[in-house]
Amino acid sequence: MSVARIGGAPLPLRRKKMMPPVIRGLLWAGIGFLVINCLVAYVLDPGYGTPFITQPSVVFGWLAALAGWLLGIGGLENVLLPAFGISVPTVEVPGWRRYFGYSTNHKVIGIQYLVSSTAGFFIAGLAAMFMRIQLMGNHMWFFPYAGQYIETVGIHGTIMMFSVGTVALVGGLGNYVIPMMIGSNSSAFPRMSALSVWFVPAGIMTVILSPLLGQWTTGWRGYEPLAQNDPNGILFYYLGVFALTLSSLLVSINLTSTILFKRAKGLTWNRLPMYAWGILTVSLLNIIWLPEIELTFVLAILDRVVPLPFFTAVGSPMTYLELFWLFGHPEVYIIVVPAFAIWMEIIPVMARKPLFAREWGIIGLIFVMLLSGLVWAHHMFTNMRLTEMLPFSFFTEMISIPTGFAYMVVIGTIWRSRFRLTVPSLFVLMSMFNFLIGGMTGVFLADPVINLQLHDTFFVVAHFHFTVIGGMVFTWLAAMYYWLPKFSGRIYNSKMGILGAIWVFIGFDGAFGLMFIQGLRGMNRWVPVYPPYLQGLNIIISIFAFVLGLGFLFNLIHVVWAMKSGKKVQENPWQSKTLEWQTASPPEEESFAAAPVITGSFYDYEDTDGTYTIPTAPDPVSM
Amino acid sequence: MAELLTFGVLWVVFSVLGELGVSAWGHDFYFYTASTQALDGVNASVFLFRFLTPIFVFVVLMLLYIPIRARRRSNESVLRGKGARFNATYVTIWVTLSLAVNLLFFVHPTTSAAEQLFQEMSPQATQNALVVDVVARQWEWYFSYPQYGIKNALNANGNNVLYLPVNRPVKFVLRSYDPNHPYALGEDVIHSFWIPAFGEKMDVIPGETRIMVATPTKIASTETNPEMRVQCAEVCGPGHPYMYATVHVVSNSAFQQWVSQQLKAGN
Repeated sequence: MSVARIGGAPLPLRRKKMMPPVIRGLLWAGIGFLVINCLVAYVLDPGYGTPFITQPSVVFGWLAALAGWLLGIGGLENVLLPAFGISVPTVEVPGWRRYFGYSTNHKVIGIQYLVSSTAGFFIAGLAAMFMRIQLMGNHMWFFPYAGQYIETVGIHGTIMMFSVGTVALVGGLGNYVIPMMIGSNSSAFPRMSALSVWFVPAGIMTVILSPLLGQWTTGWRGYEPLAQNDPNGILFYYLGVFALTLSSLLVSINLTSTILFKRAKGLTWNRLPMYAWGILTVSLLNIIWLPEIELTFVLAILDRVVPLPFFTAVGSPMTYLELFWLFGHPEVYIIVVPAFAIWMEIIPVMARKPLFAREWGIIGLIFVMLLSGLVWAHHMFTNMRLTEMLPFSFFTEMISIPTGFAYMVVIGTIWRSRFRLTVPSLFVLMSMFNFLIGGMTGVFLADPVINLQLHDTFFVVAHFHFTVIGGMVFTWLAAMYYWLPKFSGRIYNSKMGILGAIWVFIGFDGAFGLMFIQGLRGMNRWVPVYPPYLQGLNIIISIFAFVLGLGFLFNLIHVVWAMKSGKKVQENPWQSKTLEWQTASPPEEESFAAAPVITGSFYDYEDTDGTYTIPTAPDPVSM
Repeated sequence: MAELLTFGVLWVVFSVLGELGVSAWGHDFYFYTASTQALDGVNASVFLFRFLTPIFVFVVLMLLYIPIRARRRSNESVLRGKGARFNATYVTIWVTLSLAVNLLFFVHPTTSAAEQLFQEMSPQATQNALVVDVVARQWEWYFSYPQYGIKNALNANGNNVLYLPVNRPVKFVLRSYDPNHPYALGEDVIHSFWIPAFGEKMDVIPGETRIMVATPTKIASTETNPEMRVQCAEVCGPGHPYMYATVHVVSNSAFQQWVSQQLKAGN
């Protein structure tokens, strides 16, 4: 035995040529679906007239397809077989191909998440454009039937919430940046992470394909008992969201463990970067609330498939609403907490000043996390008992206090600083302005008496887009421009970046600012047709919305262009002190050749300490 | 210090301008109000605007003015900002004020206005109210007037219609089922009973009975103002956008006349 291995040289591997992982995953998913679907539909539980697709067959078939997809993408060789002690030699594919397969490198996984999220964002954005085209007329003209419009609204919301809002800043940037930020070369569970990212395209595809099973008209919330009397498309809503939330749950378990256990020597809790605090708090929210909504969806599937009348008139429709919003409001903070953290990450770097009142920023993040579980029923003021309103109103108003701490910290940091007005800082300021409007209008919505008028109108639509696009998407853009040199070693074009920022700002504030007014004038949600007096303003809103859509496209093209052929810059163009900038840009396979030791604060720009050198010449990338 | 003073002056000036705007337009926040409940909502909103305006101006000024003031000149070689990493006065004022403003908002207008609404909706206050039984089904509103024996109010075209006398509290009793197919439980979904001009809505939950009280204050109808309409506000299937009914708020004598017409028509 040992005779054969002279000098410890590895045995020559039998290299098997593998199909491209994505193709193999799709193939195995198709085979898995067909086999299990036919087994259930024809053998185990044949329906009347033995249709090819039944409710149980499509649910089990989908589960088999998901398993086939994950195994085909690389789960077989890298996770399943090794779990049974069979080691399969795998070949790491070079170049761009590695992004289309199983990879345990957290930077590859981060990019995979970001690309999936971006795809989801533009697919759901296209749905929004269709909605705005329809709303330019006050009768059915773009969509043939009202149900198709409402279904489009549902697909838009579902993909935006579960594949963009909860994913881009956590699974995407979190996976890429967090391990580097805490001085580690890998995340805690790289193999789990490598698989979790492939839930996202599966989930997006499931939601997009839901019309194949029939129209569902519930919007992104899947309200019962309407979901039960809609056609079967709602099953793919449940299953798609299940896949997407499972992905976020795995990300959160991974990143929480990474922050807890993989920190570099000397990286104490007092020195933990703000973004790591943000990811830690948002991950705790995910770990608490995502299993809750997943089990709710399991109940809803049982309700429909068995059927068990949990949520119909003879059961309790309100129970579904409570269960949904019990997750649904923390969801909003899952989206926006990482954005707060990124504000506090970017601003001290741009201000060249220590982060002001750092502890209060962390207290803010943690209390937002804690309070977010106590406010859910403010989504239900119109359908709960009067006496139950006030406690939720109270906590909803109180959550603005810890939210305000993020503003206090950022403003205090900029005050009397040497502020560099770059594209990332511009996006952060715009994000803070827009989120401020979202928060201030939230005060009105938190008041039950006012809420009874504003609920389910376009005022609410405008409000939550100001918090989600204003808070999260603008911050996402800020973060993409900020970490662009990290991803690629290149920098954006300042003029184009500023143009892009102003472009989306005008489109966004125009479209959604006017939606507040439209809601107050009596425009309710989920309607493709409306009284004629609302049409004029709707046309203006649509035009702003198209401007916004093109603006996002412009920023996408600019970022992709800058990554490929932007100007090359030095490795740490912002002279940031956080650890991810102390690696090469773009980082090597192993970010750190030797484990870093932390001796000081990442936000201390008052004196040059020995660990990092800060150049005294003016930096080449201001503005 | 001069910086602080400039900022303070700007803050006061813009806040005063904002407050003038609130005085001028705040009472039109709902665009059209035709019930006492809508006025409760508008008054609460105006109070919130009064306090939120200086806060909004403060933060927006901070986001605009401070970055521009603190902006690094291109010829400056100093790459460090001045300024403290903590300022107890600033943090104390910020935390105390945000707590105080939020507690104030909770007491007034939130609780005070809510208590007012609860009182208006209480059984004691609605003893002499006009009772309208509202039944929502996919996708239609039925209105019946048990005090007058009207089983299903219809207009001349046979469409469901809601007639209300002005200045009299109306107690809407809201239920969701299909009166034509009461056995088909699966057809009942959540709807939301909303008259935009009345400034309130209430969801209609299958299997439960909900009450909404409104006191119309203006003689108007869907024809004179489209905000005076019954609109389903909660998505309830593909027919949701078409689930509306016309509303007429009329004088007391016109209402009596309408009642007798309905009875004569056998509705």
